[in-house]
Amino acid sequence: MTALLAVARYEFRMQARKRSLWIAATLLGGALIVLQGDRGPRSLPVGTPAREVMGTWALLFAILMPLAYGMLLADRLVRDRKLRVEPLLESLPHAPATRLAGKYLGGIGACALPGLAALLLAAITELPKRHDPALIGWALVAFVVVTLPGIAMVAGFALVCPVIVSVPLFRVLFVGYWFWGNMLAPDFLPSLTGTLLTPIGDYGATWLLANGHTALFAGTPGFLSFLRPDPSAATAALSVAVVVLCGLIPLAAAAVVAHRSTRQTWPSKA
Amino acid sequence: MHIEIADLRRRFGRVTALDGVDLTVAGGMFGLLGTNGAGKTTLMRILAGVLPATSGRVIAGGHDLSTRAGRVAVQRRLGYLPQDLGLYPDLTPTEFLDYVGLLKGLDDRAARRRQAAELLDLVGLSDVAGRKLKGFSGGMRRRVGIAQALLGDPALLIVDEPTVGLDPEERIRFRTLLSSLADARTVLLSTHIVEDVAQTCRQTAVLAGGRVAFTGAVTDLTARAEGVTWEIVTPGPPPTDGVVVSAIARTDGTHYRVVSPQPPAPDAVLVTPSLEEGYVALMRSAAPAPVG
Ligand SMILES: Nc1ncnc2c1ncn2[C@@H]1O[C@H](COP(=O)(O)OP(=O)(O)OP(=O)(O)O)[C@@H](O)[C@H]1O
Ligand SMILES: [Mg+2]
Repeated sequence: MTALLAVARYEFRMQARKRSLWIAATLLGGALIVLQGDRGPRSLPVGTPAREVMGTWALLFAILMPLAYGMLLADRLVRDRKLRVEPLLESLPHAPATRLAGKYLGGIGACALPGLAALLLAAITELPKRHDPALIGWALVAFVVVTLPGIAMVAGFALVCPVIVSVPLFRVLFVGYWFWGNMLAPDFLPSLTGTLLTPIGDYGATWLLANGHTALFAGTPGFLSFLRPDPSAATAALSVAVVVLCGLIPLAAAAVVAHRSTRQTWPSKA
Repeated sequence: MHIEIADLRRRFGRVTALDGVDLTVAGGMFGLLGTNGAGKTTLMRILAGVLPATSGRVIAGGHDLSTRAGRVAVQRRLGYLPQDLGLYPDLTPTEFLDYVGLLKGLDDRAARRRQAAELLDLVGLSDVAGRKLKGFSGGMRRRVGIAQALLGDPALLIVDEPTVGLDPEERIRFRTLLSSLADARTVLLSTHIVEDVAQTCRQTAVLAGGRVAFTGAVTDLTARAEGVTWEIVTPGPPPTDGVVVSAIARTDGTHYRVVSPQPPAPDAVLVTPSLEEGYVALMRSAAPAPVG
């Protein structure tokens, strides 16, 4: 337990200190604020319910900001080897799965900081116009329902996949996946867009809107129709769970592989 | 911690890094010498539990390293400075030691902090304890590596070429520190600096091509060069027979020390050898070991 918390704490600290995290989050978040157009949350009429306003903001930020998280988390596992810290870490008496889990938690924590900051900032800037203190509360709800599950899924894949495909290739594939699997209209090409599996938080945001419209494509008919139930509170909760669990799959696989390699025994005779 | 190694082998594909190593390390300070690629680092990585052997037996402090349980038991009492250790550039030395301390299971926060501060003081880094490691020189990083190895008062200390990149004064200070620690512990030191072994170790082993070419007292290794270490003084070219260990130009000509079974020149005189000459004599007499 100490080891898990230690890794999580120090991974969080190192990642949160990275200037690139804050610069990338600011640039992407800023671009979305400026370029949101008249379908964005700023254009919602005064009197729109606070939960709808913050749901729209959360989905807006989720369009691009997770790209930064995926890029930055991609080297967290690989860098131990690159920085030549790995032999020392391996000589310390803890299971490799502990280190993996600690990096996962610490990475999520660090990426959650700009994610939460963006939503709170949006809520605060909306306050003078909409005079609704509930905006702050709904910002937190939107963070938990839309932002955080996506970060968790991205973290799971971004930690493990680069070990297999290399960091630069993972980054390229990740950007491609992000647009294909979250935003490409499902009637255009077979894609995961609009399914329970989308880390962009489509189902969660649609539940927050509660206005009979879908936030992006949640539940739109398409490829793998069993993953496209009608949006509701229940399917939003299901989507949160599925997205988080999805991110745990690569992590669990990596933990099993690492566990096997450390359990290795050798014969005393050749 | 007593270490018993028997018929230890490790292959990397076609390369045989360790080819049947038998070695006993009884305690105190033990020097590991050998050419580049002789297998020193491989042996130390196996002892530190970070690399599995291909076959063979290693018992350290009563624990069988071929099992995971044995490796973890040794790791709980281990201080390890890997060859060419890197550090997290975004942490300070204090934070880095705190992190390693936590992973070593030093749960008491105050005690851990105190120990980190003491060790940083010991390696002369107190002044920069709060600065990011990013800007540290090679020697300063080395010292952080040494400090982390000492965390948690380990019973077994494995240090792989710890003095590379240290200035001479710091090198001497560090090897003295190591040998003072070796009173109550086992310290396994690998190095290319024979003088470090001569000054600090009673016992030593020389690896060559993955095998133990010598193991025993340092004085016995030195004795290998008795009767084959010569000094000649000549204004002319260096002798062609044997290995020239040193050449110092003086007014009366160049003084050469040569390790050679035959006198390298008619007027050569036998001299008392050093450990370095013992090492050279050993390597010359050992069959031309295939390296790598
Ligand atoms: N991970 C590895 N993969 C392949 N070959 C390896 C690996 N590690 C070591 N070797 C090989 O094993 C042999 C022994 O290497 P090792 O690093 O143990 O030598 P060493 O005595 O520590 O050398 P040096 O003095 O240069 O540090 C070398 O031939 C090396 O190329
Ligand atoms: Mg080595």
